[in-house]
Amino acid sequence: MSKPTHLSEADLTAFGQALDQIRDDVMSDLGERDARYILRVLRTQRASEVAGRALLFAGLLPPAWLAGTSLLALSKILENMEIGHNVMHGQWDWMNDPALDSATYEWDNTCPSAQWKHSHNYVHHTFTNIVDLDRDLGYTLLRVSEDQAWEPRFLAQPGIALLLAAFFQWGVALHDLEFERLGRDKSWKDMRAQAGQILAKVRGQLLKDYLLFPTLAGPLFAPVLAGNLSANFTRNIWSFLIIFCGHFTDEVEMYDRAEATDESRGQWYLRQLLGSSNLTGSVPFHVLSGHLSYQIEHHLFPDMPSHRYREIAPRVQALCAEYGINYNTGSLARQAGGVARRILRMSLPGRRRRRVTNTAADFAEAA
Amino acid sequence: MNPIVKRMLGSSLARALAHPSSVDDYLALIDDRLSLAEPRGRVVHAVRQTPDSVTLAIEPNSNWRGHHAGQHVLVGLTLDGARHSRCFSIASAPDEPLIEITVKRNGAGRVSNYLVDQAQRGQLLYLSPAEGDFCPRSQAPAKALLLSAGSGITPVMSVLRTWLSHGASTDIVFLHYARAPVDMIYADELEALAAEHARLQSITVFTGAGGARLDAAALDAQVPDLAERETWLCGPAGFMDTAETLIAARSSAPLHREQFAASRRASAHGQGAVQFLKSDIAASGEHGSLLEIAEDAGLSPPYGCRMGICHACKCHIAEGTVRDLRTDRVRQVRDTDLQLCIHAAAGDVAIDF
Ligand code: FES
Repeated sequence: MSKPTHLSEADLTAFGQALDQIRDDVMSDLGERDARYILRVLRTQRASEVAGRALLFAGLLPPAWLAGTSLLALSKILENMEIGHNVMHGQWDWMNDPALDSATYEWDNTCPSAQWKHSHNYVHHTFTNIVDLDRDLGYTLLRVSEDQAWEPRFLAQPGIALLLAAFFQWGVALHDLEFERLGRDKSWKDMRAQAGQILAKVRGQLLKDYLLFPTLAGPLFAPVLAGNLSANFTRNIWSFLIIFCGHFTDEVEMYDRAEATDESRGQWYLRQLLGSSNLTGSVPFHVLSGHLSYQIEHHLFPDMPSHRYREIAPRVQALCAEYGINYNTGSLARQAGGVARRILRMSLPGRRRRRVTNTAADFAEAA
Repeated sequence: MNPIVKRMLGSSLARALAHPSSVDDYLALIDDRLSLAEPRGRVVHAVRQTPDSVTLAIEPNSNWRGHHAGQHVLVGLTLDGARHSRCFSIASAPDEPLIEITVKRNGAGRVSNYLVDQAQRGQLLYLSPAEGDFCPRSQAPAKALLLSAGSGITPVMSVLRTWLSHGASTDIVFLHYARAPVDMIYADELEALAAEHARLQSITVFTGAGGARLDAAALDAQVPDLAERETWLCGPAGFMDTAETLIAARSSAPLHREQFAASRRASAHGQGAVQFLKSDIAASGEHGSLLEIAEDAGLSPPYGCRMGICHACKCHIAEGTVRDLRTDRVRQVRDTDLQLCIHAAAGDVAIDF
């Protein structure tokens, strides 16, 4: 395995302090420039939604349909990734703008914000990549770590992964129900209350995308419906891809409970870092990914305004180099390949032979 | 906004089409001032009457529900990317189309200082509905004393303008304490009004450089018939306390004190224990809002308006049962950000602070 074994406690403390310094530098510098950025994204998203829906009303012409659907998909991707996800992390709370308030923001997704903040912000970001605690590890559907016991159902997981990609927002919506806890420490009553919130959210989206807008289009009911379906579908595939590339690539590390108890700040940072993987690409690509292409930086500092990840990434990477820690990054194609390999490999029983690298000797050799 | 357009945009169809965002989110594409429910306004005049103050005339949008004399408004603006708000008394009379406020420079007050230095025509301001009930009724009594100090003159001015604009024949003594002539806002207007209305007597006392203070002798000399007058009072806390004692000893007529809504809100009651996780402090949730409980426990969470508008006091609640002090609604929350100033404990609450 490539969890570093060459770092002393003092190294980890210094490493943690260096990261704290990066965080402080950015957080004390937030202001006008950041506000301008997110407001611009917000405007772009709303404008592309309005334009997309308007074009779809001219949807009999194939180019208009295509342009309308693309703009709507763009708007949904921006809204879920760069706006919704990051707003709900509290990244923009400092602006005191009610439209960007983590407490009240509701994203365009079938998952209610309140439940997302629990399953994602709390469970996933606290217990990142700890098998049995982080429910995002395979979303209780897939086996993504050799530390998860194999069951015959996992033979079907390549197919299940594809289905999950297509219906990703629905998977996300059901995620916080935590079916597996039912009858143990979760009551049917709690479950019903949560299901009620999900239904309200689902009703809102179905009504808007699949009934009201198509109906308003009159004779163009079918193309508008198809456009909305395609936009939601595109957003699903895209977010699935970005999120899976952020945590289930080849080199990403998984942890067991014992490894992650009583962590120091430095160890916590280290787990977040080794449990995440980045994607390289252009600025528009990063924006469309909600800067989750900087998954490492996001996991280190989940409440830092996203566009700053781009700025601090070189500092984080240099720090990793200095301490001999693997900084997992690569192109979308490379990382997606790694994800596919992992999903396929884990569908079969047996344990992977772990590489042993990044020991003190490796580090000395590399240096 | 045209009322018909507004009705259409406020319909449940429009809301369903905007789901899960609000119609306002889309209106913002056109103009920041557009909103279906939020009062907002733009500055139409900024007049600097004294070197360290500015009087702003604000044209509100159609969501402004008007105000009563002596009420105040929370004014918000964006500074360095973040929205900040502060309360100001409204000086205009209720039936005037523009809202007038006067802002004085104030040591570390970013909002005030910004407005004094930079406010100009066109500036967008976020507003709250008018709050406070300094002057609950608009008819004037037969005889009144309007007593103010410093920037406390603004709400009192609003009371005066209201009465005069209604043609009231009240016998009014307007007694104002200012530091020096350059500090005095509304000096010209008061002088003009006094010249025009025989029953209005305007007295200004300058307190700077060894000038007079409010005391028993001065009050007896300036307002000999105090016992017959109802009083409207506004100024710094020390001034108001002194005035209240002096007046109570001389008159049993009603006395109206200008105070902001937050300090006037009946003190909140709660139950349960409040746990501050990061500072590892436990406190009883019985008395006060969560903000007050935190402060009583020696913590200093950020706050602004203390009345639920500015969101400065928002803290992350890990888990708990809280009561919204505005609606009395009790709800269970987990992993949510809440405004501490408008929530009380309604059971155990764990706060990340
Ligand atoms: S202090 Fe302004 S909302 Fe609480």
